[in-house]
Amino acid sequence: MDRLDVATPERVALDLPLAGIGTRALAYLVDAAALFATWVVAYFVLSLLVSDVLGFFQDFSGLAKALLVGGVFFTQWVYWTACEVLFGGKTLGKRALRIRVARSDGSPPSVLESAVRNLCRAVDFLPALYFLGLMTALVNGRSQRLGDLLAGTVLVRDGEVTLPRYEPPAPGAAGPPLSPRQADLVRAFLERAPGFDPAARRRLGRRILDRFGARLPEADRTAVAAAVAVAEQPRG
Amino acid sequence: MAEPIGAFAARRRPDWEALSQLLNKLDARRLQLPDVEALDRLYRRAAADLARAQRDYAGTDVHRALNALCARAYGRIYRTPRDRGAALRRFYRAELPALVRAERRFVAVSASLLLLGLVVGALAVAGQPRGAETLVPEGVKRSVEAGEMWTDVLLLSPPEEAASRIATNNLAVVAATFAGGLLFGLGTAAALVFNGGLLGAVGLYCARHGMLGRLLVFVSAHGPVELSVIVLAGAAGLMVADALIDPGDLPRGAHLQARGRRGAAIVLGCAPFLGLIGLVEGYVSPAPFVPGWVKVASGAALGVALWGYLLLGGRAREPAR
Repeated sequence: MDRLDVATPERVALDLPLAGIGTRALAYLVDAAALFATWVVAYFVLSLLVSDVLGFFQDFSGLAKALLVGGVFFTQWVYWTACEVLFGGKTLGKRALRIRVARSDGSPPSVLESAVRNLCRAVDFLPALYFLGLMTALVNGRSQRLGDLLAGTVLVRDGEVTLPRYEPPAPGAAGPPLSPRQADLVRAFLERAPGFDPAARRRLGRRILDRFGARLPEADRTAVAAAVAVAEQPRG
Repeated sequence: MAEPIGAFAARRRPDWEALSQLLNKLDARRLQLPDVEALDRLYRRAAADLARAQRDYAGTDVHRALNALCARAYGRIYRTPRDRGAALRRFYRAELPALVRAERRFVAVSASLLLLGLVVGALAVAGQPRGAETLVPEGVKRSVEAGEMWTDVLLLSPPEEAASRIATNNLAVVAATFAGGLLFGLGTAAALVFNGGLLGAVGLYCARHGMLGRLLVFVSAHGPVELSVIVLAGAAGLMVADALIDPGDLPRGAHLQARGRRGAAIVLGCAPFLGLIGLVEGYVSPAPFVPGWVKVASGAALGVALWGYLLLGGRAREPAR
């Protein structure tokens, strides 16, 4: 997966994962479906308004009607930019897929940047179904389409990594504490053990106990032992 | 010797969870004033923890989780300041006219491309009667031959519908003209020449059928502003193309972004004019009860107002060169 390195004012390098073309395409489809649904509803409401069969809108002046009709179809042009600016770089589809538009320093886009990338949809769409945009994103190292290149924006994944329950080492444990990689290995085993094949679980669990047994925190040691014990039970 | 990872995670975990909670609150727009202070403190600490995790615990889940947490907080905390009202006023008072004046070379090229299209379109219809077959739209041809103005059809639909259709259509043309600059200017040039050509061909075709006067009266109310905005969008597209072809000292991408930003500012700044002129085209232009000279005079006045604003606006605030 492509990544974007960002240096924050706190002098820490952040490492942002970027969204690929698959995620981008899905987010677009969600947005397109939402817009399409809005237009279908708007079409029926507005055709009612223009012909005014039921006489609901007779109090509206002609100008008010014109502004209303124009306003609804204007959404086609402002939807993307309005969402991206107001909701920190997320349209509905991007929210659903947990991605957001960001500048190359990771911060949310300004009005101008968002407008540039959305105006360029006209070219990225060419010749049909975003072919040009997809090809550009495929070749580009950051999966940017032409509009993103012009605006200097990227699509960043906002994924959350759940932090596993690390146990602090037991105070009186024999030997040096586990290295971070070793500790991570034990966590990974405990989290995934229920899905392992029993033979594999037994083999891996025993190796962990043999190698780190005395140095494991108390709670971890019992958990690994329990995982091995479950695997050793005959199936009945 | 680094602290064991388990001890580090267990010790710092409450702060990370608190930060995550605060970010959820921020996203739900329920952040209180005391929370802001806590957010600042917790974010700085998490950033320090991340720096430490990068050194001592690289490649572990602690590192990944902290990176994700800090990325999320960073995106929420560092935003552009919100003085949009003031920025907008400044933009229309001084920046937009200054921008157009600074890029007048591109405006001139764009206008000449449109004119070129106009001349070529007219010549094609004049020299080759067959030219009309391909250049003039079918519906226009049919109604002109029947001796009536196709624009009268606009009268059959309610003006609000016409106005909104025209406004969205014009916006689509302008967006395509600007974005076509990304195709090394070919898209922009094609849009300008094509639109000019259509106008020239239809104009000469109408003249041949003795209807040029009626066409000019119809076009006069909205035409000057509409064509001006298309020319400005073309200029913006050409700026993008120029940056692509000749990036100068900067890397191509960086130059493209800088120029694209200026071009987009022109296009977006002019978009409201286009929306307003759509109303004129829907209400005034087809209206039979508005006398022709009023349409011509108001169209000319609007055109002069637009160019007067673009050429003279905000000049007093500019430093003398």
